[in-house]
Amino acid sequence: MTTDRLSGMALLLLAIFVVIETRVLPLGTHSRPGPGYLPLLLSSFLAILGIILITRGRLSSSWRSVKWSEGLHALAILAGCVFTTLALETLGYRLTMVILMAFLFGVMERLKWWMVGSLSLGLSFGSFWIFDTLLKVILPRGSLGF
Amino acid sequence: MVETLQNLYLGFSTALTPMNFIYAFMGCLIGTLVGVLPGVGPLAGISLLLPTTFGLNPTSAIILLAGIYYGAMYGGSTTSILMRIPGEAASVMTCIDGYAMAQKGRAGPALAISAIGSYIAGTASVIGLMFLAPPLAKYALGFGPPEYFSLLVLGLLVLGYMTGGSMVKNLAMIVLGLLLGMIGIDHFTGYFRFSYGVVALGDGIGIVPVAVGLFGISEILTTAGQPKRPEVIKPRLKDLLPSKEEFRDSVAPIGRGSLLGFLIGIIPGSAHIISTFIAYAVERRVSKHPGKFGKGAIEGVAGPESANNAASCGALVPMLALGVPTGPIPAVLLAALMVHGINPGPLLIKEQPVIFWGLIASMYVGNLILLLLNLPLVGIFVNFLRVPYKILYPTILMLCVVGVYAVNSSIVDVWIMTLMGILGYVLRKYEFEPAPIVLGVVLAPIIEMSFRQALAMSDGSYVIFLQRPISVIFLVAALTMVLLALKPLLKKGKDWRERLTKAEKTEDV
Amino acid sequence: MKTGKTIFFAVLIAVGVGLIPGMVIAQEAYPTRPVQIIVPFPPGGVADLVARPLAAALEKILKQPMVVVNKSGAGGAVGMQAAAVSKPDGYMLMVALSSISVMPEVDKLFGRPQTYKVEDFAPIALLTADPTILVIKKEASWKNVADFVEDAKRRPNEIKYSSSGVYGTMHVAMEMFIHAAGIKLRHIPTAGGGPALTALLGGHVECLSGGPNVSIPHIKAGTLRVLAGWGAQRLTALPDVPTLKELGYDDAEFYIWSGLFVPKATPPAVIKVLREATRQAVSAPEFKSAMEKMETPISYMDADEFQKFWEKDAQRLARAVRQIGKIQ
Repeated sequence: MTTDRLSGMALLLLAIFVVIETRVLPLGTHSRPGPGYLPLLLSSFLAILGIILITRGRLSSSWRSVKWSEGLHALAILAGCVFTTLALETLGYRLTMVILMAFLFGVMERLKWWMVGSLSLGLSFGSFWIFDTLLKVILPRGSLGF
Repeated sequence: MVETLQNLYLGFSTALTPMNFIYAFMGCLIGTLVGVLPGVGPLAGISLLLPTTFGLNPTSAIILLAGIYYGAMYGGSTTSILMRIPGEAASVMTCIDGYAMAQKGRAGPALAISAIGSYIAGTASVIGLMFLAPPLAKYALGFGPPEYFSLLVLGLLVLGYMTGGSMVKNLAMIVLGLLLGMIGIDHFTGYFRFSYGVVALGDGIGIVPVAVGLFGISEILTTAGQPKRPEVIKPRLKDLLPSKEEFRDSVAPIGRGSLLGFLIGIIPGSAHIISTFIAYAVERRVSKHPGKFGKGAIEGVAGPESANNAASCGALVPMLALGVPTGPIPAVLLAALMVHGINPGPLLIKEQPVIFWGLIASMYVGNLILLLLNLPLVGIFVNFLRVPYKILYPTILMLCVVGVYAVNSSIVDVWIMTLMGILGYVLRKYEFEPAPIVLGVVLAPIIEMSFRQALAMSDGSYVIFLQRPISVIFLVAALTMVLLALKPLLKKGKDWRERLTKAEKTEDV
Repeated sequence: MKTGKTIFFAVLIAVGVGLIPGMVIAQEAYPTRPVQIIVPFPPGGVADLVARPLAAALEKILKQPMVVVNKSGAGGAVGMQAAAVSKPDGYMLMVALSSISVMPEVDKLFGRPQTYKVEDFAPIALLTADPTILVIKKEASWKNVADFVEDAKRRPNEIKYSSSGVYGTMHVAMEMFIHAAGIKLRHIPTAGGGPALTALLGGHVECLSGGPNVSIPHIKAGTLRVLAGWGAQRLTALPDVPTLKELGYDDAEFYIWSGLFVPKATPPAVIKVLREATRQAVSAPEFKSAMEKMETPISYMDADEFQKFWEKDAQRLARAVRQIGKIQ
């Protein structure tokens, strides 16, 4: 199982998914293409590309050779991102950012507690002040007013 | 000629009044800042300042807003080079070679060449705007849906053929980008496609969350967890300026980039990012050492950056000469004029010479201000790299979230950014180049719309693509590209790109 | 370590001090804090250009900052939905165009859940009401609407017109006329009002039905001509242009109007304050001069009159949308 084969399969699956999803859209005719026309065309092309990758994939590196050493760290950051996206409009910008920053600085990077605190609070409230108050870019204020 | 000089004199006397000079300066400053922030682009900056300009006189207003517009193109390269995060969507191409240069300790020269190239491109385009505005604008109007479609098909083929790595993989990325770009309302029939009831997806996936996510977030995900961060060579003062060789290598790309950018920028509806992609592909094609690209080729920074700035100036041509907006930003600039009772239209240049020539003159001045502003800032910006990464990356993450959210006050955009970040991370692991996805997302609506519009115009006949001369030219060129690409399949032996890719791989080892 | 701890507490105190103003909540007369006005369209568009001078005028009257927020997307649906579900406390208003009545109809046509309902909003006032105009190129051979209709009947589905998108203002307006005149034209949708105008200027289409302010500069410059208007009365800026109603096409009446709205459940006291404030705002000299500069006539109607206008207009639009039906 090589990387190319794996990616080829992923592309093929994606193409099939798109084809299924375009079922609900009218295809139109060749002279009057409907909303489903080009997506169908493109996903068919994608499927072909996926198949090419699978068949010619023997030559690329094995899938085990892909290094995921930073994977856990990346996963943690990702979790932070997801939390931010979920919380941004309910908790408000400042609170969400303080939590995110504290998590990243404190838990992931293990900085000293006072550094975690000042950086998190400083960056969150500072950026809010610059963007929302000074530049009038509307940043979300959650239900708590933050 | 004499008349032009007289008008220029009028223009400069307007632009150099203390008030207008200050507005130009402020516009450039704000534009640079807005460009530096990830995601937030000139549109946001201009929209923010639009109300403040209501109280000014129209000349000052347009000088200020235009300053933000082309200023942002200068600033956009900064984060692209230093952190591989596009400052605004059009700076995506600079991320590739610019960041590679930064990792080699050549961040200073990259930033410097980017500023210099932008200056030359900006100034040259203003000259073009000055002399050629009306005839060029007419040429731009002649671009109808069939021409557009053929041009974009050619463009896509050029890109798939010219970028490095496996052609199959690049094509797959372009197709993926095109499919992503089709999410949203179909303007032709009103159907919602792939939006699963999320209204915010109605206009499709924004280019900003995609660019910031694919490049910026994925970069953070990849680098933050490295046990030992690749050592960033701390540059010395000497290293801040480009070497003679780098200067020499940049001259031609700047020239080509400016011309390409200007011409593409004039076409109504084209996005700046298209000009940067084409400039990059052209540079790669004409270069004697295509293998350098992707690893820190100065041409890969000089070309796209110049194209970028030239395109923003080119976009003003139809706006000023005909009163036709070429995109959302010129539309806001037009609105700013309308608010002051100035009717943008074909007579703007004749009836409002103060505004037109004042703007032209202030653009010369503005470009110069930006050059003088950005060059010393290179030293300051480069010091950002000294901040320990573990403190830097959460800050960058925060700025990305702000930048992406600020575009449309939409949390869905932040979701898209996160998802694109994951995608970018995985793609890099499996050796796919993410840049074509961004291009696909931008091009999909335009290509599809042009295709269906052309067919609607001809009531279903495909002959229309062959009936119009410009369209025929593009299609023939596209066909030639395809044949050239297929040639190796008939001949045994690897074609130059595969040899190239093999060579690149051995270089790495 | 000591410096570090000092820094931390310093930041904490600074943040605390910064937060105190925000924590003071007053409960007196409305409004006591900044008010947001949502414009569901990108900056620089019609709604935006009306909302901003209005915000400036209201600010002077209500003595609180009025902040215009652009929340565009899906032809306005994104911003309108956001306004519909917002807290009905009077701190989130919306300036919307006539498309507010069209989108739920289109949703019904496609059988999909409506993103918002027209009943979710209570009108405060009508601000502007521009009828669209039939614009053609200067070189076109038609001298008046009669010529145009005759030509259209002679070669059905040959004459092309551009619009800002399917079910958009330019499309619905033209379709009203098409239906009233019994002709067939070829529709070329584009991505917006700007591209639609560009298509006409470039000769890729032969006519369009669009808002007056973007077309008037070209008409004055001589590159475009006007054949008729969709209003009940002639436009003050174009007094020689007949209305379609005059020429006998009774059903062809279409306005790109803009109005101020609040969520339906907003307390009546708040609505009263807003109605009064808007009434004063539209007579304010700055607002009037701003509108004049943009050549947009003010067509103010207070809430009750506006409600009637809106309902009639909505019925017309709904009928037109149903006539258009689903494309393909």
